[in-house]
Amino acid sequence: MNFLFLVTLLIYLTASIFQALSLAIGNRSDVSTLRPTIESIAFWGTTIGFACLTLFIALWWLQQEHFPMTHWTDSTAFFAWATTLIYLIIVRLTHLRALGSFVVPVAFLAILIAYSFARNTSTLPEQLHNYWLVAHTSLIFLAYAAFIAAFGFGLMYLIAEKRIRAKTDTLFSNLLPALGNSDEFGYRCIFIGVILLSMGIIVGSLWTQYIRELPWKWLDAKIIFTLLTWFIYVAQIAIRQLWGWRGRKAAYAAIIGFVALLCTYAGVNLFLDSIHAWR
Amino acid sequence: MENFMETYPGPQHNRHPDAEAVPTCNSQCEPRTQHTNPLVSVGTSHHVAPIAFREKLAFSDEQLVHSLQHLRESQHVQEAVILSTCNRVEIYAVPNARRSDEASATHLLEFLSRYHRISMDALKKFSYSHHGLGAIQHLFRVTTSLDSMVVGEAQILGQVKAAYEDSRAAGGAGTILNRLFNKAFSVGKRIRTETTIATGAVSISYAAVELAKKIFNTLEGKTVAIIGAGEMSELTAKHLVANGVSNVIVANRTYERAVKIAEKFRGTPIAYQSNLGFLIDADIVISSTDAPQYLITPRPLADVMRKRKHRYMFLIDIAVPRDIEPDVNHIDGVFLYNIDDLEAVVASNLKERQHEATRAEQLVAEEAKQFHAQLQTLEVSPTIKALHQQFQQVVAAERNACFEKANLSHKQQAAVTSMTQAIVKKLLHHPVKNLRQAVNDNEADHGQYVHALRALFALDATDNEM
Repeated sequence: MNFLFLVTLLIYLTASIFQALSLAIGNRSDVSTLRPTIESIAFWGTTIGFACLTLFIALWWLQQEHFPMTHWTDSTAFFAWATTLIYLIIVRLTHLRALGSFVVPVAFLAILIAYSFARNTSTLPEQLHNYWLVAHTSLIFLAYAAFIAAFGFGLMYLIAEKRIRAKTDTLFSNLLPALGNSDEFGYRCIFIGVILLSMGIIVGSLWTQYIRELPWKWLDAKIIFTLLTWFIYVAQIAIRQLWGWRGRKAAYAAIIGFVALLCTYAGVNLFLDSIHAWR
Repeated sequence: MENFMETYPGPQHNRHPDAEAVPTCNSQCEPRTQHTNPLVSVGTSHHVAPIAFREKLAFSDEQLVHSLQHLRESQHVQEAVILSTCNRVEIYAVPNARRSDEASATHLLEFLSRYHRISMDALKKFSYSHHGLGAIQHLFRVTTSLDSMVVGEAQILGQVKAAYEDSRAAGGAGTILNRLFNKAFSVGKRIRTETTIATGAVSISYAAVELAKKIFNTLEGKTVAIIGAGEMSELTAKHLVANGVSNVIVANRTYERAVKIAEKFRGTPIAYQSNLGFLIDADIVISSTDAPQYLITPRPLADVMRKRKHRYMFLIDIAVPRDIEPDVNHIDGVFLYNIDDLEAVVASNLKERQHEATRAEQLVAEEAKQFHAQLQTLEVSPTIKALHQQFQQVVAAERNACFEKANLSHKQQAAVTSMTQAIVKKLLHHPVKNLRQAVNDNEADHGQYVHALRALFALDATDNEM
């Protein structure tokens, strides 16, 4: 198991390096023959890494006999899985591979954290190991993944915009999507993310009705932070619809949302007391 | 119509050493090789001749068919392709084997001189010729647009294809030229995919289109507004419409002029006073009025942006003095380029193309060398075949004489036959192997080997292959 995880980690590392490289070399002509190679290593590396990670999670599930979502390792590994899945879906639909340069390194960091904190003891109460857990956490992690993609689109928008405004640009930003594309797809990601997050929250609250054995606190730190994150993204959608805020402002909003998401996901787990936190 | 693409006067000159330094290169600059370089090309191009001369040499479609027949009937030429565009006229030919390079090039020039009634002196002054490897490389440079006025232009590949197809239909192209041109097309494609010589706009109006695409991704359904009038703004609008822009608004101080310009684009004419309201629907604005002061200033434009819900606006200011205050570039969603910015984009694209061109030249040189080697292998094959045939004939004659004299059984005859065949095979083994080796190693003297073999064994007397 550990070996497979290590392999996955290394593949993700390679893929991240090549993803970053494919953007960093820009359109420099002396290396332009290497471009296609670098791009395909980056993309197929990501795909293979995703396959390994899927295998790892599946085996882990079988071995533990419950959905692996009971401590840090599980959670961050699943976080990376969801992020890569959404990235691959987006590439499939839009062919905008450049997104990987921003998203795959995030997935790699998640796996690195999972690997460094690898621990096999479950800290989640036994009573919660059921299908509610699967539905609740997958929905929320897929929402996170969509928000991370939106964050990637936001960054790409800002970089491309800066270059167009600086007028120094020649060929480089051909690698990045057109501004209109980054903006539109970023928005769609947020929209889908909000839907998934809402569903995750609803499933979570319904679940509480079936929890008899444990004391339930509604004023849980994670719940409050999640609602706050939810609100930040919903506000973005509303403002865009009402006043047409897009472009730079939308890109900054996506980045703010990403920070809020990190606070909710990592901050609460590490520093605050919650039923959602694993230690 | 090579270079139909709007050309921009940039640092774009001929870099081909032959074309530049020695305009009339009649085989002195190629090492003389006998027999082995059955390819010759003569021609003229914008590098060596003015338009006044080139137009005299141009072939119409009918002339092309007619002159190819002439060439073929002249007995000097086995295969020929004529390429005639507005920037070049070239003949690629496979001469009959037993002519020297010089003679075949001169013959082609004489043909041109007779056909178009131009003096040989003028022709020699304004033309070039290439042989063997040089001819291959020249064609590859032409098809990859490295020899064009604007490196990377897209027309030439299609023009060469058309010329080749026409010549083939007229019976001009045969085995060797078929191979040569098909290879040239694949090299052309390779250069386009492996280098970036064809990317990046090299004219102001195309640069505007490319920038618009970087902002909007697609121009489908977008609206362009033209303020003022001018050749450049109309040209840019034309390119934008060709790339998908669907609505055109033409604003002018005098309504009649607006109507006149709008007719060209089926656009909406507007009499422009000072109200920017008509910009609410405009995604791209091209301004080129002769107004002495700014027409578009940040505050009213910010108002317009609010009204259009901050959808992006791309402003192109090609007026001097400028029409649009530079500060509008700071408004979110507004992108402003003036004439200098666009020219800078064009200049850097041209520089990039030049840089890529050197890389492309290397690739072309390699490809030409490879193809040349392939061709030479093809060339020695007839010699090897003739040699085998001659040996077999001699052996067969002697064997049959022997069979008549001695009374051998069938079994014995079979044994003798197989023995004689083995002898032929073994005797020819080393010469053939070494000849092939010389070709593969691209040794310069393999031509001499072929020559010597043909002379020593009197192959040309017995065989009519070539």
